[in-house]
Order: sequence, then structure tokens, then C-alpha cells
Amino acid sequence: MAQAFIELLREKLPDAVVSSHAEKGGDDVVTVKRERLVEAMAFLRNDPATDFKLLRQIAGVDLLTYQTESTGGASLAGREGPAYEPRKKSPVEPRFQVAYNLYSITKKKSLRVRVELRSEDLRVPTVTSLWRTADWWERYIFDMFGVQFEGHPNLQRLLMYPEFVGHPLRKDYPVRKRQPLVPELDFPDLVRGPGPGPGGAGVPMSQTHVGRQNVDPTTYD
Amino acid sequence: MSRLPILRPEGNVPESARLGGEENNVPVMLSRLEDSIGFFERNLSNALGWARKNSIFQYPFVTACCGMEYMSAMAGRYDIARFGAEFPRFTPRQADLLMIVGTINIKQSPVLKRVYDQMCEPKWVMAFGVCASSGGFYDNYATLQGADRVIPVDVYVPGCPPRPEQVLDGLKILQDKIQAQRHRAATVERSPEIAQRDQQRKSFLGKLLGK
Repeated sequence: MAQAFIELLREKLPDAVVSSHAEKGGDDVVTVKRERLVEAMAFLRNDPATDFKLLRQIAGVDLLTYQTESTGGASLAGREGPAYEPRKKSPVEPRFQVAYNLYSITKKKSLRVRVELRSEDLRVPTVTSLWRTADWWERYIFDMFGVQFEGHPNLQRLLMYPEFVGHPLRKDYPVRKRQPLVPELDFPDLVRGPGPGPGGAGVPMSQTHVGRQNVDPTTYD
Repeated sequence: MSRLPILRPEGNVPESARLGGEENNVPVMLSRLEDSIGFFERNLSNALGWARKNSIFQYPFVTACCGMEYMSAMAGRYDIARFGAEFPRFTPRQADLLMIVGTINIKQSPVLKRVYDQMCEPKWVMAFGVCASSGGFYDNYATLQGADRVIPVDVYVPGCPPRPEQVLDGLKILQDKIQAQRHRAATVERSPEIAQRDQQRKSFLGKLLGK
């Protein structure tokens, strides 16, 4: 589908492209070095041969439980070895990804550009200078995954309140953790989620979540 | 009078509901003065209850898809006006009934609490749909697990979303509750001896009746 654009990107910036593959749904994915991201994106957006004028979405990915939950031990596409080693009780780096879903209106083709991030260094250059819509998407990724977008004009939480601690879409955020803003009555209730009272602040996710049994609770809950 | 058992979760009832209610049901010999006060209280309460239950001004706190069902219950086919609740007020200061229609998330809960605090007494709250009642299937980091964690709720209407019939049924249950509320009419203070005697009788009868 969009392999031709990836080849163009390889010709233009040979050292920016890490790998590329086609995903199951037919989407072409190209993984780009973080340092060359803005260059590659500027090329994809501005070159008349590619013309990806529309940034549909930016997505964050946390691969902490990827192997146990969805691949059954298989390795990630385009990478050697398992994504997650239970014995080490730590994710194989790079744990996070940021995926930019682009669409070329004139060529009628879509492309996914991906950046891989190690969890100790969650920094990505911003692309707000290329697409205005990246502003809120990057705030969203920052809110949910804690990825720092360098050069962003206003990197604040988008959806969660400022008092919120942590990043809720990370796989190690406790599933039933609540951070109420006003004092709540506590209902020790099995059907409802727990309140803020004792026991409600965080049921260990290793007990509630499929695929979390191998994770050391003291490390991630 | 009441069709269904009156919903009275302890601690969630406004202060006015508890005054004098049980006393009037206790069959004790009364003095003439107390008898006449009781007669007056009962009739005044009935009249107030009748007036209040048939002119509920609701404040629809609509946050989610239940709002469509609220509109349906409001509009001609189901016609909530048949029960005297046809007049939504979009300011909490003029409303009697706070209808929490939809999911309340944690970011919104201070707003809900503030709206509730702005309403004048007497006031009632209806949780419209499972999200407002218990959080529904949004068992996650963002959602308040039931509006009654923050403010007292009188009637819970389950459903995702509830049918308009369910809403009307909830409204009628609320009407029963309003009708059953009792208010102290007299400012005459009972003497400490009589108050003590009443208390003893109440506790004795309470034990007897197993309450």
C-alpha cells in the first residue's frame, strides 16, 4: 500500500529509518529514530510525492504486558526476542512507543510512523510545528503515558485533572486505583469499584488482571 | 398512602424527613395539647407533601447518553408532566429535584457537589441510570463509582439507559417518599419530663417491634 512512501523516506533520510513492516490490517508501519523524527515527518508532510497533510491520530503504546496478553510468547513484529521477560520482572526495552497515523488526502494512502522509547528516557520532539492538531494529541499522550514532548507549547494534562498523580493508561497503573477530588463515602462493595477507603486505594493488579501474574506486585502496583 | 416501602437509608435522608415521623406512628396516649399538635402536624405535613410531590421542579444534570432517555421521558409520548414534573429549571437555586442523568467522572464530582449545595431545601436527588447509581461498567480510574459517594441520593433508577417507564416509576417512588415526610409544626417545646417519657416509650416499643 504505502511501501513506496517508505522507500522514498529511506532514499531521502537513510539513517532515520530503523525498520518497516506491514501490519495485519494492511497498514504500513515505519519505525523512525527519535532524533530524526521531525525531519522525517517534515519530509512526509511537505514533499509533493508523499503529501501526508493529515495527522489523524497520535497513539501511545505501553508494551509491558504485550507478550503475555496478546502474542502468547511470540516476539514483537520487527524485533528479535520476547517483548517481556517474566523472569526478569521488568519489560524489555524499549517499552513505550508513540505512533503517528498519517493520511495523504491526495494520494489516498495512510502510513504509521512509530518511535520507540526506553522507559528511562521518555522524550520525543514535538511535531506541533507541522500539524496544529498534534498539540492536543501530544498533551493526551503526555497525560496518559507520561511521554515528554520536547518543545511543546503547552504540555499539560488534557483529560485528567491537575491533581491526578501518575499516568492511567500505563499498564502498571493499578486498575482500581481512584484519586477522588472531594471526600467520598466508602462503600465496601464487590460490584462497584472500590472507593478511596482502605483497600480501595489499589487492589494489586496482579490479582485482578489477566496476564499480570508474573509481575512482581512490589515493583508495579 | 405509600405504594412501596419507603426508601430510607439511614444517614442519606435530609434532616427534615426524620423529624416527628416515627413519633406519630407510635400508638401512645397523648395529652390534649400533643394530640392537637400531632393532628395539625399530620395535616400540615400531608398538605405540604401533596403540594411538593405534585410540583417537582427538576434540575437535569445531564452528562451522557441517558440524556436522550430523559428527553424522551420529558416529551409528549411519556410526558412526565402527568406527574407534575414538567418544568425543568436550569438553575439549581430554583429546583427541588436534582436528576443526575449520566456518568459522573471524578473531575466533575466537585461540580456536582456544588450544584447540590446550591439547591434550596427541601431537595431530593434521583440517580438516573446505572452510571449515576454505581458507576455502571465504567470501573476505571476516571469515573465516580456512584453519585451517592459524594451527595445523598433518594431514588436510584437502574438501566443503561433506563426506559422512560422506569423513570416515571422512580418519580412515583420519590413522590411517595415526599408525601411520607413529616414536619414538626409546633414551636412549643416539650417539657424535659415528657420528652424523656416519649424517649422511653419509643425505645421500649422499638425493642418490642424489633426495630
